[in-house]
Amino acid sequence: MQHLIKHQPSFALLQVQLGPSETLMAEAGSMVARSHAIAMEVKLNAGRNAGFFGKLKAVFIALIRKLIGGETFLVNHFSGPSGGQVWVAPALSGDILHLPLAGQRMLLSAGSYLASAGEVDMKMRWGGLRALLAKEGAFFIEVSGSGSLFATSYGAIQQVNVNGTYIVDNGHLVGFDSSLDFNIRSAGGGLMGLFASGEGLVCEFKGQGRVFIQTRNASALVDWLSPMLPG
Amino acid sequence: MKQEIVNNPDFAALRVVFDAPGEQVIAESGAMLARDTAIEMKTSLQSGIGAAMKRKLLGGESLFQNTFTATAPGQSLWLAPAAEGSIQCIELQPGMELFLQSGAYLASTPGVELDTKWQGAKGFFAKGLFLLKAKGAGLLWFSSYGAMHAVDIGASYAGYIVDNTHMVAFTQGLSYDVQKVGGLKSLFFSGEGLVCNFRGQGRLWMQTRNPSSLVSFLHPFRRVQSKS
Amino acid sequence: MQINLLYQPSQALAQCWLQPGESVLAESGAMVGMTPNVQMQTQSGGMLKGLKRMFGGESFFRNTFLAEGGGGEVLFAPALCGDMAVLDCGARQWNIQNSAYVASTMGVDVHTKAGGMRGFFSGAGLFMLESAGQGQIVIGAYGALEAIQVNGDLVIDTGHIAAWESTLTYSVGKSGSGWIASWLSGEGLVCHFQGQGIVYLQSRNTAEYGGAIGPMLPPRKN
Repeated sequence: MQHLIKHQPSFALLQVQLGPSETLMAEAGSMVARSHAIAMEVKLNAGRNAGFFGKLKAVFIALIRKLIGGETFLVNHFSGPSGGQVWVAPALSGDILHLPLAGQRMLLSAGSYLASAGEVDMKMRWGGLRALLAKEGAFFIEVSGSGSLFATSYGAIQQVNVNGTYIVDNGHLVGFDSSLDFNIRSAGGGLMGLFASGEGLVCEFKGQGRVFIQTRNASALVDWLSPMLPG
Repeated sequence: MKQEIVNNPDFAALRVVFDAPGEQVIAESGAMLARDTAIEMKTSLQSGIGAAMKRKLLGGESLFQNTFTATAPGQSLWLAPAAEGSIQCIELQPGMELFLQSGAYLASTPGVELDTKWQGAKGFFAKGLFLLKAKGAGLLWFSSYGAMHAVDIGASYAGYIVDNTHMVAFTQGLSYDVQKVGGLKSLFFSGEGLVCNFRGQGRLWMQTRNPSSLVSFLHPFRRVQSKS
Repeated sequence: MQINLLYQPSQALAQCWLQPGESVLAESGAMVGMTPNVQMQTQSGGMLKGLKRMFGGESFFRNTFLAEGGGGEVLFAPALCGDMAVLDCGARQWNIQNSAYVASTMGVDVHTKAGGMRGFFSGAGLFMLESAGQGQIVIGAYGALEAIQVNGDLVIDTGHIAAWESTLTYSVGKSGSGWIASWLSGEGLVCHFQGQGIVYLQSRNTAEYGGAIGPMLPPRKN
């Protein structure tokens, strides 16, 4: 499988050349175009080793998410006996990040999954009670295994190498290495900082590892647009 | 302090790396993406409640601003505006003035002063063309929806007309008239509305997109309020 | 007219230089700025043509920009963030998704064409635009534009099509193997192009963007 990411960072488009019988898995609704020889099949993304209950849980989550929005955890499988091309893009304007996995684990904020190939496992992970207070990210997606993972963002993606501690606004978080500890807290500056700074809650990372941030935030876009809206 | 603007013109972000403790950047509320934990953040009504209220009412800026103060060398801070677009950095020197369209202010260093310049009936007529006046000495960062296209009037152009929803900023030395383009039919049907006709000597920045088109596009996708 | 495209792909701007006395036709609301010697006039080109355009999802009126007393410059941009492209008409002719039209030179006739039932089911609207004559058309897309040379067959999501050469034939169908699978897959309808020619696809889909941001906005009254 060969891939090319074009038009970064604003309107990134993933172009994949599949060899005979190779498979690309992509978030439902993300296909832009494909060769006629490539077939599409919708499947439940329950993880490779999911048992009956694992699958049942995945069906349940998929249905809820199909109704409330966000990742559906239904993925489309693209493949063909003689191979071909597939183009994939996310719904919002933004970047695509290629993360090769070789046994390590990463956490992605919900909504960041675009596509994957190879033996990549995904699990929904509860971000903890305090994550509920944050506007975004009560859930994280935990990815592990080996293969290629393609994550997406609203805005451009920047990599921050943490060595010590670093704070990221929770609406601007794309993902991070699981080697980092993280904790949700106020942006600082006391009560005034919590309610009037416009920063709300932030994620504080500790340790060593990569954090990927996105340069825009959908709720900031909404706040910017709201005063301009007609009735 | 070192500064770098990345991802212009798509999704620009500003990265500041502080050289010494005590260095400060003041930013529009909600603009922070990430920072070193040890950088102090303080939220305040910048330059008193009167000026802040005036800015909020007339300049479209938020009432609160955050001041970020470095506590050690090498600490970094990331900032970005809400809209998809660009950031421009200007180094203001004493005697220089820059006029910004409401909403274009992103951040500045402490030596930069901001004031709302009342545009009178002319400004009122040109809906939303309230301007912030920046002066003093220091760095000023402003942002646009879309890319920023700069035109040097008095040099490459004798004058320039810009649709007023596309106006971002201009330097002192330029003056403008608010006009309609075409005839009366054009005012109502052309979709162009009002324009600013600039003359003089200076630089004009326009944005390649305008928020009102985005608002009209999104309107049908909004939920409808329930009757009760 | 000379056209220079800037800030591609995300915030594209078409900088058009007009000869003295030359004019250009543009979609209403597309003008960003211009030199003061350029005169704008609004025309519908006749009631019927205007109405037909309105049904096609464009505006009733189009504006003409004329350079008087010397050369002039006009800047055009589409409504949403995204790319622009210049299509040469003459040897090639184009079909254009109706919201992609931005501007055209006077020698090109860009008219509304009923897409028929195929167009209706494609979700791209009942109408589309078709070019004739000689000159240039400036199109704008939501997302980046990617020109793909079709050589045989290509399947494209209907929401991602910006323009295609009129030598291509197409049919609209479901993406998956059945209707339920198509709904679950989220792909909806696709366009199956056949033949030889260029297709411009846009890397984002306005309906998906509106569907993602719209519900997050405060509700509207009606």
